Amino acid sequence: MYILHLVMLAISLTLAMIFAYLAIISKDLLMAVVFSAAQSVFYALVFYLLLAPDIVLAFIAVSVGIYSALLIFVIRKTERYEKV
Amino acid sequence: MKRSEYIIGIGIAIVIALIAYFITQAWALGPIPPRDLRGIASFYLYSMMNEKSPFYVSSPEAVTSILWDYRGLDTLYETAVFFLAIIGAVTVFRLLREHEKKVEEHRKEIKEPGMTLIVRLITKLTFTIIMVVAASIALHGQITPGGGFQGGAALAVAPLLAIAGLSRYFVEDVGLKEKTALALRTLGLTIIGLIALIPLILMSLGGLAYFMQNLPKPWAKYIGFPEWLLGVPLGGSLFFYNIAECLAVGAGFTVVFLLLSIPEDIFKKIIEGEKGE
Repeated sequence: MYILHLVMLAISLTLAMIFAYLAIISKDLLMAVVFSAAQSVFYALVFYLLLAPDIVLAFIAVSVGIYSALLIFVIRKTERYEKV
Repeated sequence: MKRSEYIIGIGIAIVIALIAYFITQAWALGPIPPRDLRGIASFYLYSMMNEKSPFYVSSPEAVTSILWDYRGLDTLYETAVFFLAIIGAVTVFRLLREHEKKVEEHRKEIKEPGMTLIVRLITKLTFTIIMVVAASIALHGQITPGGGFQGGAALAVAPLLAIAGLSRYFVEDVGLKEKTALALRTLGLTIIGLIALIPLILMSLGGLAYFMQNLPKPWAKYIGFPEWLLGVPLGGSLFFYNIAECLAVGAGFTVVFLLLSIPEDIFKKIIEGEKGE
């Protein structure tokens, strides 16, 4: 079980890193918010594997729901595509 | 990419690999996972559900009992920080009465608010489910993982979803205006303050008590909150704190969302009007 936990931790952290990279390079800011939310889902899984269910409950609501919504409100008030 | 960017990237990778090596393999911060509990953790785990201990909380949930009993003052100040953040947001986005009229005018221009019928129906169903989940997190916070802040954050997602799917004006029509949400948040904070002060108020009837007292203690014997109700462990005041905190956090976030969801062109009109004067 211990090894299984470590493998799941490694997989979810790797996927989280990939989504973080996609969020950084994305020029479409709305897609960047979506990638960031996906990264947060994997982080929530990591918190659960590290035996912190209390943090998961707060983190998933704040990072996927509230944080993404705030960023979408901000994007709506400015522009969707990043100009280089 | 330039050569300097490659060098920076490789440098960061080497530093991270070194840190990971020293922490996990060389045990620079001690063995992982730790072989023994720290003193304070073993104290909490020993006294939490131990009726003979003077620091008995009667809640099997370690995190909630630490948050609202052992470290109750910390949580009280944390709630105060959140209170100030919401006050700041409300001050920055405040609307005068004439500005509210402009929002009303904008509302009349829109004929059919919200998204398509499918989205609206799904939003209504999901809204109910999120409310139930939030209630279960907050009301069970003293038994299972969860608690006031977690429940409040989940509760705040429900009106947010309604704003996105059904439009801001639908939410206002149902009765959830900024002022209502502000009043609900203030009510939650007032309940938290009252529950913290109740032992001190009861002390005037006789006996000894202290601020944020939960259950009767050997040195303050007569004042305390109920330990059980209908076969459910309430954990003394934890249950009431969780409900009030859930209300305060959920309504506080909702105020900010309602203010942020005012269309930008209205704010632009307001700013241009101020420049003209």
